[in-house]
Amino acid sequence: MNTVQLFVTCLVDSFYPKTGTAVVDILRRLGTDVEFAPDQTCCGQAIFNAGLRDEARPSVEHTIRVFEKTTGDIVIPSGSCAHMIKHGYIELFAEDPVWLARAQSLASRVYEFTEFIVDKIGVTDLGAHWEGTLTYHPSCHTLRAMNIDRQPRALLENVKGANIVELPEAESCCGFGGIFSMEHPELSAEWLKRKISNLDQTQSNTLVVTESGCLLHIAGGLHRQKKQQKVIHIAELLNHR
Amino acid sequence: MSETDFRARIRKSLANETLQTALDANAERRTNGRATAFESLPDWRERRQRAHAVRADAIENLEGYLEQFTSNAEQNGIIIHRAENANEAINIIFDIVGEKALVPEGNASPLLIAKSKSMVTEEINLNHALEAKGMRVVETDLGEYIIQLRNERPSHIITPAVHLRRTDVGQLFHEKLGVPYTEDIPTMTNTARKILRDVFLTADVGISGVNFGVAETGGICLVTNEGNGRMVTSLPPIHIALMGMERLVRNLDDLALMLSLLPRSATGQKLSVYTQIIHRPLPHQQRHVIIIDNGRTKLRSSPLNESLLCIRCGACMNACPVFREIGGHAYNSVYPGPIGSVISAGLFGSEFVPLAQASSLCGACKDACPVDIDLPKLLTRVRAEQSPTIDLRSKTNGLSILSRIFLKTYARIATYPRLFAFSQKFASLGTYLLSPFSEYIHLPAFTGWGYSKDLPRFARRTFREQFNREASKDIMITKEEKKEALSQPDVFSSPKGLSVQIEKIGQFVEELTKVSGQVIHIAENDLTIKVIEFLESKGVNQIHLEPNILDEDELQLAGITVSHERNVSIRVGVTKAICGLADTGSILEANDGGDKLYASLLPEIHLAVLKESDIYPSLENAINLTKESKSAVFITGPSRTGDIEMSHTIGVHGPGEVVVFLVP
Repeated sequence: MNTVQLFVTCLVDSFYPKTGTAVVDILRRLGTDVEFAPDQTCCGQAIFNAGLRDEARPSVEHTIRVFEKTTGDIVIPSGSCAHMIKHGYIELFAEDPVWLARAQSLASRVYEFTEFIVDKIGVTDLGAHWEGTLTYHPSCHTLRAMNIDRQPRALLENVKGANIVELPEAESCCGFGGIFSMEHPELSAEWLKRKISNLDQTQSNTLVVTESGCLLHIAGGLHRQKKQQKVIHIAELLNHR
Repeated sequence: MSETDFRARIRKSLANETLQTALDANAERRTNGRATAFESLPDWRERRQRAHAVRADAIENLEGYLEQFTSNAEQNGIIIHRAENANEAINIIFDIVGEKALVPEGNASPLLIAKSKSMVTEEINLNHALEAKGMRVVETDLGEYIIQLRNERPSHIITPAVHLRRTDVGQLFHEKLGVPYTEDIPTMTNTARKILRDVFLTADVGISGVNFGVAETGGICLVTNEGNGRMVTSLPPIHIALMGMERLVRNLDDLALMLSLLPRSATGQKLSVYTQIIHRPLPHQQRHVIIIDNGRTKLRSSPLNESLLCIRCGACMNACPVFREIGGHAYNSVYPGPIGSVISAGLFGSEFVPLAQASSLCGACKDACPVDIDLPKLLTRVRAEQSPTIDLRSKTNGLSILSRIFLKTYARIATYPRLFAFSQKFASLGTYLLSPFSEYIHLPAFTGWGYSKDLPRFARRTFREQFNREASKDIMITKEEKKEALSQPDVFSSPKGLSVQIEKIGQFVEELTKVSGQVIHIAENDLTIKVIEFLESKGVNQIHLEPNILDEDELQLAGITVSHERNVSIRVGVTKAICGLADTGSILEANDGGDKLYASLLPEIHLAVLKESDIYPSLENAINLTKESKSAVFITGPSRTGDIEMSHTIGVHGPGEVVVFLVP
């Protein structure tokens, strides 16, 4: 049995543990041996993206150390955290050959969750079942930074019972952007408003995302606006049978 | 500009309803236009990578290319200057205009400078400097003219007046030009045409920018839509072109590649109406090129050097959700939007660093960039204070104190797994105490988070507490599916064979018609008769005519006179096109001065005679022909503008009708 490391991400760990459980269930059903390195914390993305590179370094080095002790591919239910490890770490250590080599070897093991299922395992039908209308928000980092789009869409197409409708302006940012939504809340609020009004147009009650950042942001906005639609991470949806 | 100023400007923009409507319209129009334009370039992804490589090579070997460009241009009779900074550039211009620059005494009129749109002149604040010396500077691009009348800065590098509605422009023209108030865009455009026509004909100096310099030939390329660029570079006795030093490409083939991407990205056109490639001065003309550094050398050796690949198309602005909300003025820099947030910090000073914080790093800019600049990466580098202008004493990366404290604390916690787990428990307990009955907490707006959304409580049991080491039993049997091919090969067909020429003619006609041009098919010996018929239908009896195309005796018999003087009342000009381009409906004209120049530039109607066999498939097949002329221009339909509310209006400065007489 192949060993797979789960990097669960700090947001899933702290806010949405069910997403992590769904990832584990799915990976195990596909015949992999899922391991969870208990010392893992946060990839450091928010700190790095804000420009605090020196401050980000200790948590990044910590993450590298934790996963160097493990074997197998690393699966991450987040395109932006996967992007941080694959590309952000390389950028951070550009001037440091020793750490750069360590970062590169880690980067080569990293997969976003849907990418791993479709491209690495080669499966697009997970036998999921969901009654109702779904719409998909392609998270910015999954879509553009990681270039992952056909994988989640292929997985969604095979969800039995689901009627999938296209979200208008699907590819525009929901306005989260990590610390950005706190730094520039007025801008972030405008995009959130637009995203929710596009969701309203679909008449769908369920919005599927690949990123718990978008989930926090959009679900939090829906709650503020007293709306009924739910936002769900794709792993939880695909684990629904 | 401090980060608080920037935040205030953002709020002001968001509250400005006129601006919001204008920006929404701009974003939608431009994004759709761009998408449609790229449909006609099936291999655009591959071209984009090549374009990146071409620009990267130019920046990598910049000094060599600059030397090559300089020596070739000088050989062609163009005078080259190098300016280290804004002041030097301005002084070079004073030296060129020399005595004329002195404030005139008594009734002598001030030196008149006609300018076509140039961002680098905005960058060095040229107009202000020239006016301070008593010169009269007139912006001739419609959008620039409007904002000059309003005493404003451009709010977009391609559409400078994008923040204004037609009512604003109508009111402005009424107040400043004394014309009756109108909301009719063609009427406003016509007012500008009339006033500026006089400026072109009497200007002492024409000043333009440069889109690309070509190292191997010493040529400069300018793309415009209205026709003012052609006027400014060919009518006044002195033409001065200002070029950012990074604007070079290696050769004409590289230029053709860039030209397949630039107009598509900027305005959604396959080719801009006027694509000029200038190699020499015209007779009785002085041509200067001033190559401007102004911080670029420093930027080049900094981690932001990839920003020098930019070809100033503005696509990143149109794609950017931040720009869409706040517009160009909020950035308080000549260069707004994603690329502006990088190069303003890189060229002008650390006060522009906070601009880079206004991004969710969504990557729409990188996606839209025709040369694939990794803008999100560069923005994070600006945030990391890697810009060459960074002032180490007053170090700020624009982050608020609250975010800085939060992130620094979090960074510490994330380094220690036990502390991390403890903090999670602490946060969970805290949020349950704060909100015992609801899953969500309504935080106050000042926290940022609470501004438009609620915060969910932290999970009671984190994932790490729940992870179950035992594998579940129900291993799913899956049918192995082959990995889908990652990408489909680009469909790129190159036509071959005899029927190809007919196909090319058909395509040329179709494309020219799409851009509001007209085609008349004729038999060769019919040419003069058909032209006469056309002129009679328009009631025209005087024309500008390129020599040796029509039978002048026959014209005379029909009562049509041929003028050899520059005469603005002549409504029709007739030229012979050097070639045509099938995929864009363009014609190539040599602008070498005299009758030929006037015929295609000044009249309302331009008739061009084109041989069917001179139609080439695409720009890249014909670009080398431009080397033969002093100044060559690919003309793609009639002169046009979208500067007022992006409303497509025909006939600004150049001809409003382009008619191609296609002869076998």
